[in-house]
Amino acid sequence: MPPSSTHHSPVLSVVEASLTAPRVPDVDWSILMARAQGGDAVAYRRLLEEIAPYVRSLAAKWCREPDQVEEIVQDTLLTIHAIRQTYDPARPFGPWLAAITRRRMADQLRRNGLRRQREAPLTREHETFPSTQANNPEDAPERRALGLAINQLPLGQRQAIELLKLREMSLKEAAVTTGMSITALKAQPTAG
Amino acid sequence: MIPTPDLIDLLAARLTPVRRLRGPMTRAAQWLLLASMVTVMLVVAHGVRLDFWQCLLDQSFVVGTAASVGTGIGAALAAFLLSLPDRSRRWALLPLPPLAVWLSMIGYQCLSNWVAFDPDGLRWGEAARCFSTLVMVSLPLALTILVMLRHSAPLRPALATLMAGLSVSAITATVLSLIHNPDASIMVLAWNLGTVAAIIGASSTIGRRFMGLAFARG
Repeated sequence: MPPSSTHHSPVLSVVEASLTAPRVPDVDWSILMARAQGGDAVAYRRLLEEIAPYVRSLAAKWCREPDQVEEIVQDTLLTIHAIRQTYDPARPFGPWLAAITRRRMADQLRRNGLRRQREAPLTREHETFPSTQANNPEDAPERRALGLAINQLPLGQRQAIELLKLREMSLKEAAVTTGMSITALKAQPTAG
Repeated sequence: MIPTPDLIDLLAARLTPVRRLRGPMTRAAQWLLLASMVTVMLVVAHGVRLDFWQCLLDQSFVVGTAASVGTGIGAALAAFLLSLPDRSRRWALLPLPPLAVWLSMIGYQCLSNWVAFDPDGLRWGEAARCFSTLVMVSLPLALTILVMLRHSAPLRPALATLMAGLSVSAITATVLSLIHNPDASIMVLAWNLGTVAAIIGASSTIGRRFMGLAFARG
């Protein structure tokens, strides 16, 4: 009897499963790592470049933030570098790599938990206080009107107001900046 | 955070050849050989306890000593296996059966006699002498096993260190039971597991720095 189109044979199922699962070229990576342990930098670079997308795909299953996924990838690469002498080429590379990635993902999740406990998201009110200039939106129309009024003043008066009142310079500093005498500066804001 | 391709360039540029670690069983056997040598040296220097041959006829002494030796060997194997990333955490269960037997036969005599009053005045009691022997045995063993397990720092430091501390405790208790009459097991466990707790606490706070050091060396 010919096989029905709705029932797959076990062999076909295995083939399908192997096509859908991410391919882990375990033997290749194992050989590259063995060479890296011997100091082959070319093999090591190739290994790291090949495993980075695999680690990224594992991390992306647990973490949605792209920055954090990349942090897990880099932490994993650094750990591999630090403990590369622990890899035994007689054993498969995949489980060794996956175990290290899981440890770094657990660290990241722990860090996230701690961050949530310690930190609160900033609101608009929080942004007001660290700013050097007050950014209260209610003041904005008055500030604009004041700026327009100052711009309409004669040059001498405008300079005097800007330097003495807005930048809070002393009379001496303003005199040096403008080249005017202190007496003339004193008289400017009230002149006219 | 630097881009990942730059990190890969950096790591490839800093690559140096490394000597592959021997298998965990071989490394555990090496450390247990060192522990046996320390035991033999101390027994030769100190002599066995006066009632040693009588003790060999006592079933509880024989079973208790065998259990502490079994705990020491099992915990050492577990520590070296757990220090590798791709070995199961279930290896931590290996020393539990002999540990249960050992703990069921444990004594606490050594905790009760720190100073002695006699006609010549106050002097250090049996407990103080026992404690000094304990430190003398456990310190070199603990330092050696921690150095041998240092690469486990970025992986499972707490579990591997706990197994190492248990192994050192069991072997030290065995050594003391051979040369010393009162049972010192509780004191040995308190000292060694206290040290383990301190190491785990310190490593969790300075863990990142330790890892940084490991990277710098790699």
